[in-house]
Amino acid sequence: MPHSSSLRFGEAAGTLLDRAFDARDRHRPSVPLPRIGIFGNGFPETLVAAAGGLPVHLSMGRLRRTTAIDEFIEPFVDEEVRVFLNRLMNGEFADCLGIIFARDDAPALVAYQYTSEWVRQGRAPKSVPPLFLWNLVHTATPAVMHFNALQAEKLFDFFERIGLRRPSDEAIAEAAAAEAGRRQALERLETAGLSGTTAMRWRNAGRFMSATEHADLLNAALVDTKRTAQKGMRIGLIGSSLASTASYEVFERFGTIVCDWQPWGAVWPGPGNGNATLPEILRATAADPSCPRITPTTAYRNALLQALANARCDLVLCQLAPTDDTFGWEIPALASSLERRAIAFINLGFRDTDPETWHARAATLISAKLEARK
Amino acid sequence: MTSTYVPLESTRIATDHQRGWAKSLRAQITSGAKYAFVNADTPHELFHHMGLPIVTNQWWSAIIAAKQLSEYYFDYMETLGFHDRLARYSSLPLIAELEGDTERQPWGGLPKPSILCARQSADDHQKIFSLWSERTGAPLFLISAPAVPDPHPEWWRLARSDWETLYRSDRLDLMVAEFEALIAQLEELTGRSFDHDGFVRYMEAINEQERIFEDISEILATAPRCPIRISEQIPNVMIPQWHRGSEWALSHAKRFRAELHERVKAGVSVLEEERIRMMWIGAGLWFDTSFYSTFEESHGAVFAWSMYLPFAADGYIREIKGDSLRALAARVSAMNEQLHQPPWINSWLVEQAKKYRIDVALMLIPEHDRFSGQGSLFAKKALEEAGVRVIEVWSDMVDRRKWNRDEMSARVSAVLDAVLAEKGV
Repeated sequence: MPHSSSLRFGEAAGTLLDRAFDARDRHRPSVPLPRIGIFGNGFPETLVAAAGGLPVHLSMGRLRRTTAIDEFIEPFVDEEVRVFLNRLMNGEFADCLGIIFARDDAPALVAYQYTSEWVRQGRAPKSVPPLFLWNLVHTATPAVMHFNALQAEKLFDFFERIGLRRPSDEAIAEAAAAEAGRRQALERLETAGLSGTTAMRWRNAGRFMSATEHADLLNAALVDTKRTAQKGMRIGLIGSSLASTASYEVFERFGTIVCDWQPWGAVWPGPGNGNATLPEILRATAADPSCPRITPTTAYRNALLQALANARCDLVLCQLAPTDDTFGWEIPALASSLERRAIAFINLGFRDTDPETWHARAATLISAKLEARK
Repeated sequence: MTSTYVPLESTRIATDHQRGWAKSLRAQITSGAKYAFVNADTPHELFHHMGLPIVTNQWWSAIIAAKQLSEYYFDYMETLGFHDRLARYSSLPLIAELEGDTERQPWGGLPKPSILCARQSADDHQKIFSLWSERTGAPLFLISAPAVPDPHPEWWRLARSDWETLYRSDRLDLMVAEFEALIAQLEELTGRSFDHDGFVRYMEAINEQERIFEDISEILATAPRCPIRISEQIPNVMIPQWHRGSEWALSHAKRFRAELHERVKAGVSVLEEERIRMMWIGAGLWFDTSFYSTFEESHGAVFAWSMYLPFAADGYIREIKGDSLRALAARVSAMNEQLHQPPWINSWLVEQAKKYRIDVALMLIPEHDRFSGQGSLFAKKALEEAGVRVIEVWSDMVDRRKWNRDEMSARVSAVLDAVLAEKGV
């Protein structure tokens, strides 16, 4: 496993993490490896690393210009899908050997289906790499475990087709060890007393580099960074995928985000990544309670409430993408559960397309609610 | 231009049967008999065969909407804290249940089901059914729904006999295993044993019924003029479909076919002078079904196609091949996806539009029911490339709050005017 050497440049590790987060999938890690695009949560990146590839998440980028596919994307399709599809058809992922989509991540499935259809119709540029649908089912019956093991075999076949190696047990164990190192570094990040904004940025920077490099940078950055006393309320952030520094900064005017339980929050990397064997990776991935499709269905809300309680939140902020059709079903039950626990809950509703309008509205709502509780 | 439209005798018989069935079911379940509350894309066959009555979520939703209650319930939904961009069709019964005033509901409401069943085809189905389960305490059986990675565009050509290739062995293995678990639960619930031999005969009866519907579709598609309105097509297909494989359903399908055949032979049609043939894409507009006849008088335009009839054949006929549960898995494992996911839906709609000689399609796009709306614009483009004019209808099957009939009629009329002008009429 190549060792990270980003730090040799002498730059502060925090700066490197910030730069990687800002660059998103355009970030170039210090050790070049074959790039494998990932769309969605729920895929164990360990397996790409074990195959000799670099998993790079493609769903957090920014749109520069639209392409012909844009007119086929309905307005209720998630924005990250629209951005991804346009960028893909612009040739922006031509440097990926392949792209893996997580079926149980709703935007990822749509992204896969629309991409596949565009390719089938012969309208996609040659730069679109081979696609793979990661069909893992999120439950733990023997039939599902057998099915999930077959999906891993199909994934390994895909790796070979695109020029990676079929992961051996040893390679999986080695990649899992690197992921376990990243997990330890992330645990230190969560308890380092940093702002939730910084934690979100540094955590997600790892979506664009190897686990080893990410762990090294986090460990170095945490040595360099002074612990600051947390101020204000202990905030939990829930709802739709969010990776906006500006939004986090607005929320943190009222305290510190100590529990970030939205799809682009601390639920990544998934729990299977650090396990040393394929069956253990698959079992833990299938049991990830942050997947909205987990069975039993109660596991999702229970895990969310437990995370908020463990973080001793006294304020929970819920924000939604304008396209939400799933998390909204949880809101009334969450609100009453939190009320029973005397935790303030503020549903900020749908994010506005204009960030300034949305931030002003969110700040007003939070202020008003907190004032009313005095 | 319009002849005096005479409804089919079959329609009266079907609706009377459904009314009687509903009354009997209501009497049974309100006196404590067990029943299951299930989604439309679940294996109803297993419940029927085990003798456990079912109430289908989408059917119940349509009943509530037809009683003009959806507006009230969707307003109420928002007072509970659910936002207004959540799915409506699948959730209307849940909201009625949460509202709790059984007197307001059709039948005086539903008692607690003995089991709930949904397939995880859309992400929100499990959320909605989970809330039902929390509310009623009824156990929830979820059927998983891994996707088909490489959907064959002409799925209907493979689905009847080569379903193993089409739907993939790993998916079918999983679904059969889940069916076996469901059967075990139903056996426990009913105290009966699953009769495998009887199930084979039952599956054969369903295939026979769907072949009759295929004949009917052929009659409708090839008749010189459309002989019945889709407001009659739908109940004559869907009521037997809710009871598929039963003696009544088969005999009704035959009666419907015979009556249609006679009607076509006698030259009876919705319009004496049929100028434009239209298709209604998507679920029914359950709160305003009379909309379907709006353009008959003004433009000589008739809705000749709705998905329910042709889908009865393409979506349901599955050769049993010595394994009835696996054949059922082949029927269920992509049931909903075939109607919503590219390339399945676009290819099928083009095939159907050509077969039915369609000029104009009205495409219902429920923006707050993403699973039902996805792929719409791919399907629209495919139809347009096949020479069909497509009108997008951004509305909902059961929520009338954003439905403006006058505005929609004006939009459709403008397109129909243009089509008539093109045809030189």
